[in-house]
Amino acid sequence: MWFFYALIPCLLVDGVAVLPAPQNLSVQSTNMKHLLMWSPVVVPGEIIHYFVEYQGEYESLYMSHIWIPSSWGSPTKDPECDITDDITATVPYNLRVRASLGSQTSAWSTLQHPFNRNSTILTPPVMEVTKDGFHLVIKLEDLGPQFEFLVAYWRREPGAKEHVKVVRSRGIPVHLETMEPGVAYCVKVRTFVKAIGRHSPFSQAECVKVQGETLPLALALFAFVGFMLILVVVPLSIWKMGRLLRYSCCPVVVLPDTLVMLFFFPFGMTLTSC
Amino acid sequence: MKAQRIFLWLVAAMFFLCSVHTRGLRRCLISMDIHHIEETFQEIKKTIQAKDTFQNVTILSTPETLHSIKPLDVCCMTKNLLAFYVDKVFKDHQELNPQILRKISSIANSFLYMQKALQRCQEQRQCHCRDEATNATRIIHDNYDQLEVRSAAIKSLGELDVFLAWIDKNHQGPSAA
Repeated sequence: MWFFYALIPCLLVDGVAVLPAPQNLSVQSTNMKHLLMWSPVVVPGEIIHYFVEYQGEYESLYMSHIWIPSSWGSPTKDPECDITDDITATVPYNLRVRASLGSQTSAWSTLQHPFNRNSTILTPPVMEVTKDGFHLVIKLEDLGPQFEFLVAYWRREPGAKEHVKVVRSRGIPVHLETMEPGVAYCVKVRTFVKAIGRHSPFSQAECVKVQGETLPLALALFAFVGFMLILVVVPLSIWKMGRLLRYSCCPVVVLPDTLVMLFFFPFGMTLTSC
Repeated sequence: MKAQRIFLWLVAAMFFLCSVHTRGLRRCLISMDIHHIEETFQEIKKTIQAKDTFQNVTILSTPETLHSIKPLDVCCMTKNLLAFYVDKVFKDHQELNPQILRKISSIANSFLYMQKALQRCQEQRQCHCRDEATNATRIIHDNYDQLEVRSAAIKSLGELDVFLAWIDKNHQGPSAA
């Protein structure tokens, strides 16, 4: 009986039940972004805050009493915490969460299996393939400094050789090749994360083509027509201008017949005034 | 003439073996992100070095230690110094500032990962410890033990840039990609 009475202070704090610990801790990790999640602790009408702490393998082996507060997720009102900036080495990390409401705190709830970032899911990267005139240009999504991209491209014809280019720049268009008109070029890309030594799957191949002879021919034709027009129009204009000038400076005056008959018999004369 | 030729062949073979050894360590460490560790340390370097009260003394940078290490001894020396930091320095240092603790934790866990990677390489190649490497390691430990524990730990932490630069120098090579 005394044992039961002795337990009562452990179960009640200031006459109020202790907060339940968060349950169902899990980590979702995609492309080296790690999110710790748990089932929310519900107390009607109250806002619960959560504290998240982590412990790398070094701490668990050499200083097991050391737990480090998460840089972003502590405290948080949402039942999730971005632990990307905490998981900075490729070793197993222990993670724990507890709930807090005013002066009450729950027990710590620990992730069942330590999380290692080498288990992150790597997805095929998003790429945008464009033509800049005859230039094959690719733009890749920015996944952060830990990623580099392996870009494979080839001419879509039998026996064509596949070229590979390693791209470390992020979000900046990259020139791959100057394309030959009328030939299709295909591109696919995957990522490599040096910190965990893994590649993502390749993206779907995308192919582009620069139009063949039609464009230069159209341009040549247009240029020829324009040139011929210039050859005809310019001399015609010069001739017309000349005539205009001549007549404005030195107009030809013709007397009417009646005056010619009157003043100059029997001949009609043309007077030219200058 | 024949003896000369044999001698030249032996020298060439030794040279080849030495370069394979060093290349082996480079391939080992290439998969590790040393620059990330260097960047992490740069963020706390000033604070750590400001706490060092024995500025005229060095633990890593004496002439008989890191700077005199030959390529043949690089693997062993790296292994020994990683153990020095993991087993001694990080344990002896008591950090109360959460921001600094976070960075030291990152470096310590990265060193643990490097130890494991080096261990895998060692199983494939020899990482034999010659007297030169063993003596250099002993000098570093002696330098450390001459100081009071906390001072020695903070000084060794402050000299992490020396160690990381040394690994980087001995690890220059093409990317794993």
